[in-house]
Amino acid sequence: MPLLEIRNLQIDFGHGLKALRAVDGVALSLEPGKTLGLVGESGSGKSVTALAIARLLACPPAVYAGGEILLAGRDVLRLRAAELRQIRGGLVSYVFQEPGASLNPVFRIGGQIKEALQLHRPEAATDAEVIRLLKLVGIPAPETRMKSYPHELSGGMQQRVMIAMALAPQPKLLVADEPTTALDVTIQAQIIELLAQLRQQLGMAILLITHNLGIVGDIADDVAVMYAGQIVEQGPAHDLLQRPLHPYTQALMKSVPTLAADAERLTTISGQVPRLGAFPTGCRFHPRCPVARPECSQAPPPLAEVEPRRWVRCPYWNSPSLKA
Amino acid sequence: MTMSESLLEVKALKVHFPVNVGLFARPTEFVRAVDDVSFTIAPGETVGLVGESGCGKTTLGRAVIRLIEPTGGQILFDGMDLVPLKGAALRAQRRKFQMIFQDPFASLNPRAKVENIIGEALDIHRLVLNATARRQRVESLLQDVGLEAAHAQRYPHEFSGGQRQRIGIARALAVQPKLIVCDEPVSALDVSVQAQIVNLLRDLQQEHGMAYLFVAHDLAVVRHISRRILVMYLGRIVESGEARSVCQSPRHPYTQALISAVPVVDPKLKRRRMVLAGDVPSPIHPPAGCPFHPRCPVAEARCKTEVPALREVESGHWVSCHLAK
Repeated sequence: MPLLEIRNLQIDFGHGLKALRAVDGVALSLEPGKTLGLVGESGSGKSVTALAIARLLACPPAVYAGGEILLAGRDVLRLRAAELRQIRGGLVSYVFQEPGASLNPVFRIGGQIKEALQLHRPEAATDAEVIRLLKLVGIPAPETRMKSYPHELSGGMQQRVMIAMALAPQPKLLVADEPTTALDVTIQAQIIELLAQLRQQLGMAILLITHNLGIVGDIADDVAVMYAGQIVEQGPAHDLLQRPLHPYTQALMKSVPTLAADAERLTTISGQVPRLGAFPTGCRFHPRCPVARPECSQAPPPLAEVEPRRWVRCPYWNSPSLKA
Repeated sequence: MTMSESLLEVKALKVHFPVNVGLFARPTEFVRAVDDVSFTIAPGETVGLVGESGCGKTTLGRAVIRLIEPTGGQILFDGMDLVPLKGAALRAQRRKFQMIFQDPFASLNPRAKVENIIGEALDIHRLVLNATARRQRVESLLQDVGLEAAHAQRYPHEFSGGQRQRIGIARALAVQPKLIVCDEPVSALDVSVQAQIVNLLRDLQQEHGMAYLFVAHDLAVVRHISRRILVMYLGRIVESGEARSVCQSPRHPYTQALISAVPVVDPKLKRRRMVLAGDVPSPIHPPAGCPFHPRCPVAEARCKTEVPALREVESGHWVSCHLAK
């Protein structure tokens, strides 16, 4: 049984006629111990999807308009408040983008980690366990570091503390929402290595939300690409990154500058990411698609399994113009 | 390189910020944000400046156009030293160099119409004679950066991040500068929009012929737009050379680590990753000897005591490392 199964998730912002659908029919599944990369640009709905897993979205304005989020077999959207508290931090933990903004500036980091332990594993709320966790995430001299305040640590060290805090309740699923975006490349490499190593050591599943396709290739088993609130392509990471089938994924990958190429023009995607509430009719990518046909603005294409384990939301994925 | 060939020649530039002010307000310690940096930019050339946060790249970019007071050194622009200039004499020079900022949400006045954001530069330098000429110039600038003339009457909040960055570029272009310092101009933008802005900067350079100092932390973006690259670490330039040479055969261990840390999309191209231990040290108390030695995977005994000088290892390729060949 998958650890996490999202079925036809629909999330609105606002009610009635003013409702704007930010997430439209997202379906994902994640096996225990595996890593799924959820990729998209800003406004694609990837963070909203991630926050919904532990029902962390503020309601209002958010409305869970439909679908199911099965976490270890139980539908998160139908849990009562007390049950939710057990799941949040206990079964699923989060690591966010800005470690500096996620840590409480007026408490020592050791105390903040201990707080997570007290909530979920009160018997383990000891200095020794805090030191073990800090050691696990690679913080040198944890005995003295646990007495530090967040501002005394660098960004990379703060993110390690956030990971230690997320690991404290021994979650089955770690949701990492852009965990390295605020960090330098050399520190980013350290954190991704740490996540990969922790996953092996602890056997937890990771849902990695990112806009950076390169990071996904480093750590993910599977990849789902989101655009304008929908998944447009999904498949095994190795295969998808080598052979993207959807025109959006192809264009996105081509617009990433690489070190290998000589200075030449970058391939761009014309126009901008559509704003919430202004999603185009038909295929939502058609106004920016280099191979769009007149039919694309008519009927919205379904997400179809075109090859084993390869899902694509484009009926023309197999046309010769896309394979070039 | 003789003076007539270079547009900008920076010699031994230093920017030190006082910290820990002692008795009688005398500073006792300094952050050596930029320490003894020299480089040149030719007319119409793009020079990339890369490094991690805190390495001094933004300070260097701003000091070069006198937005931050240098502590020492020379900045020769068209042969004239900018460092001793003050008041009206400096303002007269400012027309020649402009800046594009990182955050397109913070760098445009939210209460001003686009027409006035761009037009202000024209007014200050008295580049237009009347309101009609001003409006026409603003509209043509907007078209140059891929926006529409009608956008002049709108406010910044009506635009997306990429469009705002275009407005920032139009503002910098308004006074026809010879040099534009671009400080992380695409790092706040989405990947698909990043590429549009990088291409726009290249097109504008071909059309107008200005030089860029392109400051960024993303080596791949810098590689794409620059002819030469400077790599900075703890206030010093540790490697410089042709973009292709620096990226394909980096000589300094820091540059090598920086390049291996760039995530690669194509799984076929996966290389062995060189993960550096630790963080960038404090620029108040930089390590003795080579500033990189505590994180360096190949450091030797002498790296802890002797500061390596920048030396030319290949024509036009300079490295400050004892061990580089």
